[in-house]
Amino acid sequence: MEPVGRKEELLRRIAVALRGHEAIKSASGATAGREAALSVADRIARFRNMFESQGGNFLAGPSLDPLLPELGEALRISGVTALFSPRGDERARLVAETLVPFGPFRLASPGEIRQLSAPSSAGFQTAEFAIAETGTIVQSGQKGKTLLPGLISDVHVAILSPAAFVDRMEECLAALSEDLPRTISFITGPSRTGDIEQTLTIGAHGPKKVIAVLLP
Amino acid sequence: MEPLSRFFYRRSEKALSDATLQASISRTTGKFVGARADAVAAFPGFETARDEGSRIKRETLDRLDHHLGRFIDEAERRGAVIHAARDGAEAREIATRIAKEEGVTLAVKSKSMVGEEVDLTGALEAAGVEVVESDLGEFIVQLAGETPSHIIAPAVHKTREQVSKLFVEKLGEPYTDKIPELVAIARRRLREKFLSAGMGVSGANFLCADTGSIALVTNEGNGRMGTTLPRVHLVVAGIEKVIPRLSDLPVFLRLLPRSATGQPISTYVSVLTGVKRPEDPEGPEKLHIILLDNGRSGILKGKYRDILKCIRCGACLNICPVYQSVGGHAYGWTYPGPIGSVLTPLMTGLAEGVPLANASTLCGACADVCPVKIPIPGLLLELRADERDRGLKDPAEVFGMKGYAAVMSRAGILEALERIAGVISSVFLKEGKAPWLPFRFSGWTDRRDFPAPAPQPFRKLWKKQRGIRPWNR
Amino acid sequence: MALNRPIPVSLFFTCLADAFYPDVCFATVAVLERFGAEVRVPLSQTCCGQPAFNSGNRKEAGKMARKFLQAFAGEGYIVTPSGSCASMVKNEYPALFRDEPTMVALASFAGERTYELSQFLVDVLGVTDPQSSFRGKVTYHDSCHLRRGLGVFEAPRKLLRSIPGVNLVEMEDSDRCCGFGGVFSIKYPHISCRMAEDKIERILATGAQFVTSGDIGCLMNIGGMISRSGYPVKPIHLAQILAGNFEVPS
Repeated sequence: MEPVGRKEELLRRIAVALRGHEAIKSASGATAGREAALSVADRIARFRNMFESQGGNFLAGPSLDPLLPELGEALRISGVTALFSPRGDERARLVAETLVPFGPFRLASPGEIRQLSAPSSAGFQTAEFAIAETGTIVQSGQKGKTLLPGLISDVHVAILSPAAFVDRMEECLAALSEDLPRTISFITGPSRTGDIEQTLTIGAHGPKKVIAVLLP
Repeated sequence: MEPLSRFFYRRSEKALSDATLQASISRTTGKFVGARADAVAAFPGFETARDEGSRIKRETLDRLDHHLGRFIDEAERRGAVIHAARDGAEAREIATRIAKEEGVTLAVKSKSMVGEEVDLTGALEAAGVEVVESDLGEFIVQLAGETPSHIIAPAVHKTREQVSKLFVEKLGEPYTDKIPELVAIARRRLREKFLSAGMGVSGANFLCADTGSIALVTNEGNGRMGTTLPRVHLVVAGIEKVIPRLSDLPVFLRLLPRSATGQPISTYVSVLTGVKRPEDPEGPEKLHIILLDNGRSGILKGKYRDILKCIRCGACLNICPVYQSVGGHAYGWTYPGPIGSVLTPLMTGLAEGVPLANASTLCGACADVCPVKIPIPGLLLELRADERDRGLKDPAEVFGMKGYAAVMSRAGILEALERIAGVISSVFLKEGKAPWLPFRFSGWTDRRDFPAPAPQPFRKLWKKQRGIRPWNR
Repeated sequence: MALNRPIPVSLFFTCLADAFYPDVCFATVAVLERFGAEVRVPLSQTCCGQPAFNSGNRKEAGKMARKFLQAFAGEGYIVTPSGSCASMVKNEYPALFRDEPTMVALASFAGERTYELSQFLVDVLGVTDPQSSFRGKVTYHDSCHLRRGLGVFEAPRKLLRSIPGVNLVEMEDSDRCCGFGGVFSIKYPHISCRMAEDKIERILATGAQFVTSGDIGCLMNIGGMISRSGYPVKPIHLAQILAGNFEVPS
């Protein structure tokens, strides 16, 4: 469909409105008080603190194996039976596959999970960034990546590496801006709502549980 | 939405006598105010962020034609179709045409105040499109056939029992008063809609000019689903939502959730740029953006420009003792509370909305919490002055003010009146109080006493005590 | 701690106190004189114009503001027992006269010299102990215009705390509006009363014998409701507590 309404007319109307009423020069240049950059360990610690305080689950270990029982248990108590990971994300696929014996799990395809009748699922995906300031995981659609694991699954398992951690959102936006994807999704903890009696309730439309797994 | 703000007085009386409403308002605002205060206290950079956010917003408005033009160019370059709507009717017409031409029969909608402002849902429904509100609060309000009463928590006026009854009646679900079960019902019901909808409708929290991106902030995740799964994404946004750069976004994301719900950040922030690309596995193939004027360019022109800085956090509603007393519906239009008391007269007409501008004690609590430092009390004062200049004031008020100014023009006249009042007071009024007042003042003494005038005013007593000195002219 | 040279102070007694609460004016004078001020009372003063300004009736407000500026022409401090009246002169006069540069200059000159009583005592005279004989359990209500308009929060508390007989107890949300709002309380009395009730609920929760404030309007509103409903707390102006026992001329 062709655009409706004259954009040029809208812009002209705004320009006319502004004429003779231009800016009172505001004081310029104050940038938010930047803190000194954190070390990687501090960054991870800060992330963990913020992430957990907003309802996220955080697991870290020297390798995957020692984490599997705990991860399996966390998924099992959430009722998860189907595990899926997107095509091309080898790291996430490996975690999902290795986890199968640790609970009543089987591997599923994203197509299956999209069905309304899909079993309770956990979506595994490597996250591109983890922001320490707010405890936020970043999944983007850069280079054709899917967003479904963090979108439609009941449990979202985000795989992180130490290199993914940044101090602030600015750094992550700057890195993604070079080749801006169609979607950048900032995710901080599980889906929630306070719309009934302002009572915080988990699991509105998105994942009911978000697990960040930090692997070396 | 048809404005009813001219009936504010009556609506506010009704709200004050509604016990259920009173309980839910005080619970909600209390929680929000506390959470905001805690979040601000926990974040030392808040004041700096406020300064910066306020400055960016103001500078953007001062050159809005340039920034909006940039946004249009960049968004179009990435495949968006941009539509300009002069008013609500045009926005509705454009939206229904889009739905028709894209062959949409089911749309899922995220919460959008601009959507409420132009009644987008009503228009799409009238055109035969099934529109499902996907924000839980909006979903409840839609089932009830009502309108939101708070800009970030639309169903604050409903109790869990009322919600459950709605779900029984309208959805045929079994009765439950457990909130998690109610949320689970909505999740299940809406999931099927997300998966089958042809169009997602959303507002925009921010439009980034340098990249043509749309930023959407939600906690439930409905905003992400509705803008990722359906084939078409329709955005409706006010022209004032533009910020110059994508890199300006973080400062607003530090301000908005803290001011709104007291969260350091909302659960989901989506930055959406253009349409699905060949390599993308999902995302909308079509992106339509309706840029709505609806009086905003007129507001830009004059002394009210700062009101367009608003980022719709709702902090001014929560802190406002008037909002806390009467709730959102009493205000009678889309935007309640202090922000609505400025926007409503400007957007629906002074005669319609000025009762809201008068319904404030000018206590200034709103300006204290505003994340972009809008001087709301000052703008309310300007509206009241415009009311007088445009001849819209009650003639009795103007008459009274003229009389009062005449008395105050000479200390001698004032003193004479004070002494007459003093005599009346000594003869008729007991215990130094007046139990009733005449004329338009009568409401004052419905539940309060008015003080009786002193038998002799201070100026008289002072002259008696100290005599008239040269400087005591 | 009387100072050597008398400090010239013009008393801006406010129209409400003049007509309804002369005691408050005398108390203000007593405290000011106690700390070395030479108090002058310009008797040509009437009203600062706030009710007209706040209701959008700027023509009338302008007339009264001109009258005020004439009455308080000259030098020396202008001190008032009412935060909102001080805020009117300091914060609103320049806006009221924004199209008249000479009036803006006059208004700014007056505004710079204008102080609310507790602010003047603490910030200008450096008073640490008001030397008051007052006794009682007191809670302090922050008037909106004193707190937000003038940024005065600590000064009245500092003075109250240093009175030996005063036990200052803070109420919850002490800076929440009492619902007066001038013309607002006449136009929307039901909302105004509701806000006053919310305020009184918080006052009563402290168990204080007295509620005080640096604003006459607030006390008139809160006091009016206390008087009608017979709540067990007494409204009293800050100046009267600071003055303690003193002779009121009859």
